[in-house]
Amino acid sequence: MPLIYRILTAILAFTGCIGLIITGQMNPVMAVAGLGLIPGYYRFMKGRAHASKWVIGGLSIAALFVFAFDAVIVTGDVFIAAAHLTIFFQAIKGFDLKEPWDHLQVYFVSLLQLVMASELTRSIYFGFVFVIFLIALVTAMVISHFMKEGTIKAIDIKRPVVIISTLTLVITVLFFVSEPRLRGGLFGKSLTKGIKTAGFSQKVDFGSFGEVKLDPTIVMRVELDGKAKRPFYWRGMTLDYFDGTSWMDTLGGKHIVLSRGGVFNFVPFNKDDVITQRVFLEPIDSSVIFGLNTIAGIKADVRALLIDNAGAVFTQGKGLRRITYTAYSILKEQPVEGSDSMYLQLPPHLERVKALAEDIVRRDKTDMQKSRHIEQYLRTNYRYSLSTSKPPKGMSPIEYFLFDSKKGYCEHYATSMVLMLRSIGIQARIVTGFIGGEENRFGGYVIIRQKDAHSWVEAVINGRWTTFDPTPSTAEEHPSIVFLYLDYLRLKWDRYIVGFTSADQWRIMKAISMPLAFAKTPGLPLPEIHMAYYVLVPLFLIVFFLFLRRFTVKRYAPITARYLRLRKIMRKHGVRVDASSSPFDIKREAERLGIDIADIIELYQKGRFGGGLDHKDNMRYMELIGKVRMLQSRRLK
Amino acid sequence: MADTSLRLLQKRMDSIIMGKERAVKMAVVTLLARGHLLIEDVPGVGKTTLAFTLAKAINCSFQRIQFTSDLLPSDIIGVSIYNPDTREFEFKPGPIFSNIVLADEINRTNPKTQSALLEAMNERRVSVERRTRTLPEPFMVIATQNPIEYHGTFPLPESQLDRFMMHIKLGYPAFDVEKQAIVQLSSFEAIESMPPVVSGEEIVRMQEEVDAVRIEEDLLGYLLSIITETRRDERIRLGVSTRGAQFLLKAARANAYYEGRDYVVPDDIKGPAPLVLAHRVILKSRTYISDAEKVIEDILARVSIPL
Repeated sequence: MPLIYRILTAILAFTGCIGLIITGQMNPVMAVAGLGLIPGYYRFMKGRAHASKWVIGGLSIAALFVFAFDAVIVTGDVFIAAAHLTIFFQAIKGFDLKEPWDHLQVYFVSLLQLVMASELTRSIYFGFVFVIFLIALVTAMVISHFMKEGTIKAIDIKRPVVIISTLTLVITVLFFVSEPRLRGGLFGKSLTKGIKTAGFSQKVDFGSFGEVKLDPTIVMRVELDGKAKRPFYWRGMTLDYFDGTSWMDTLGGKHIVLSRGGVFNFVPFNKDDVITQRVFLEPIDSSVIFGLNTIAGIKADVRALLIDNAGAVFTQGKGLRRITYTAYSILKEQPVEGSDSMYLQLPPHLERVKALAEDIVRRDKTDMQKSRHIEQYLRTNYRYSLSTSKPPKGMSPIEYFLFDSKKGYCEHYATSMVLMLRSIGIQARIVTGFIGGEENRFGGYVIIRQKDAHSWVEAVINGRWTTFDPTPSTAEEHPSIVFLYLDYLRLKWDRYIVGFTSADQWRIMKAISMPLAFAKTPGLPLPEIHMAYYVLVPLFLIVFFLFLRRFTVKRYAPITARYLRLRKIMRKHGVRVDASSSPFDIKREAERLGIDIADIIELYQKGRFGGGLDHKDNMRYMELIGKVRMLQSRRLK
Repeated sequence: MADTSLRLLQKRMDSIIMGKERAVKMAVVTLLARGHLLIEDVPGVGKTTLAFTLAKAINCSFQRIQFTSDLLPSDIIGVSIYNPDTREFEFKPGPIFSNIVLADEINRTNPKTQSALLEAMNERRVSVERRTRTLPEPFMVIATQNPIEYHGTFPLPESQLDRFMMHIKLGYPAFDVEKQAIVQLSSFEAIESMPPVVSGEEIVRMQEEVDAVRIEEDLLGYLLSIITETRRDERIRLGVSTRGAQFLLKAARANAYYEGRDYVVPDDIKGPAPLVLAHRVILKSRTYISDAEKVIEDILARVSIPL
């Protein structure tokens, strides 16, 4: 068995398992099974002997027990346990690869694993693994074909492999295009857990932002038009009530907005004046929809959205899905619709805070001056830090921040500012969302991560909600080019592969049928053009395939081609025929089975090695081969 | 026609050496290829009979040299003796000056004598006292060696083994054949009374015809890939040399000729290959040539046949 074939089998076994592992459904069972792959295939590559029947049997039974245990206790999910079982199968099979049939089993299980994995993941790495699998599979199949024919060394397999792989990929793409993605997988499984976010729920505990500020998980990607300017404040929702330890959204009052032609209009706007953002939001555990302040409209493929009084937009249901939408934002600040005393609510015992606020603003006259002053004060006199200590018992975290520790992160700053504003009679609220994001120059979009989570302040100034951010800015990190490029690919993958919709399909169809567009011109012989189109395309394909055949299939001389056919028939009869079988070997083996092919072999050898057959011999050779074929059909009946 | 006379030759020899068709065939093939034969086996299985029968069947002179530890090169090649009548030294040719030479138990003699014989085998002539004397045609040495009796033996070095085209084993005959053989005791009488089948001149003509047997380019490639594979196999320390490849080609041609063809087919290479190659490789583990034969067979099962 050629080494390359062994390598391919190992690659295929591993790709299937890696496909499963990257789904992220990793657990101890999978880790053990996955590691089990290594010794078997190591032995296999080294060409060691197969394990004994008892070992294989024992391991198989053990795997079944683990499967039962796995399905009931460890994962509690038969589907995932079955996926683990396939890895066990591959691991055990590594000890027991004998016949070509065993290799086929490995390929099949690997394919099964990839199908399973496609149910469990939408990751771009799956795409890589799949392409590797496809190419390895094609190569293995081509090699195994030539190995059976015994022509492995006679033929350069590079070209057929490249051509067939390309063709397979093309066909895959065709299938892909013809089938828009449906929600949920083949088995109706959606195992996406959703990213755990902080700050986008009814009640937000003080300090919860600290937990996510180091988390680099990507939350969303946004394609921006040129009009947006930094810093970007991706506004999520607002919180109004602070009880001393947590913020709450008590004024919400969400109401349903229905789409009009796919667009939701919250504030009337002119399409030329707004900032357009195309947002790819990862599955998060909240239904908030983000956009630059103030979101005037949303274009999304859903029937209804919710909007609350503070201008925060939500999807119906509980998020957990990857959504793509376009947000239209106007940079005008929202007018206040009637004042609400809730925006002046204060937790008890804030005398010191009030005193401090009054001290800061003692010389200011307008609300704007006061607010800016407080913002400035917080920015300059406190140190940004994620490592905060707990306040001593009985002390509110805000007082501890303002007077003792003097260090904290966005929550401390924003909360302090809101409370100070409220204490001097200015209505204010907390806004949660994200700030900034890394620019990815490859795709011209912005990456926003968990650690970009932010909270800031909105206060009523001259009857309008005005944005303040008392948090001092921190240094930005610059991710590597490799990361940016990979992320760009990931975005495209999510957009066009995972999120391939019927609209995309329609667009492609339109692009393909472009040449037909001129057919709409009156006076042209329309049916003929259509005919030509529909006849020419298949014709072209046929010619292309014939052309391919010329390059992929080695043309044997007729005499050898007939001999190959004879070998094939003999193989069907159970004669052992492989690459090293000489004509005599085949003859002898056939004789044992009672088939006499001595004359054919002699004629073949004369024709092939003895300088050719004359006409009479040639006719006889063909006649004899014909007889053998008859024999075949008789036997098969 | 060579075809029929060779068939007859085989038939005659088979009637005397029973149940050893392959060994007989290979002996004839070696003869046709102008090669020499090394038979390794236990005593008493018919090594000498095979050599003697072959010589008799082709109507050629036959000499047997029993190799002993005190044998001298002159005992093989011959010696010059002073002739008082002519007052000159006269060369008395040794036993090597015959068509078929049986070198019995070749590993029993000292290396000096061994190499005298092997040189003669290779050059097909001997030089005595600055005069070169050509050996008769056809000329073939059939050497035997015992695998078990290693006491007082000088095993042939690999470079000497290389000069034998084929290395065969006779082995014990099959049960029924042996039963028959032990009853009719004196096979030598049967050989003596056997009429010759072909003449020495005819053999020489056949040897010339063997050289004209055609071989396809692809088959040369097949042959060479077997050779290169022996150099690559991890069990083999030293693979087959170019001379080994030449011998295999000669053997393939002779085999084709023997089968009545004027072209080589894959089996002409595959069939004799273990016998031609096994004694030319040195295995990593110090073992017998029969193990090497197995390795060669493994290689043959690996190299693909041209289609």
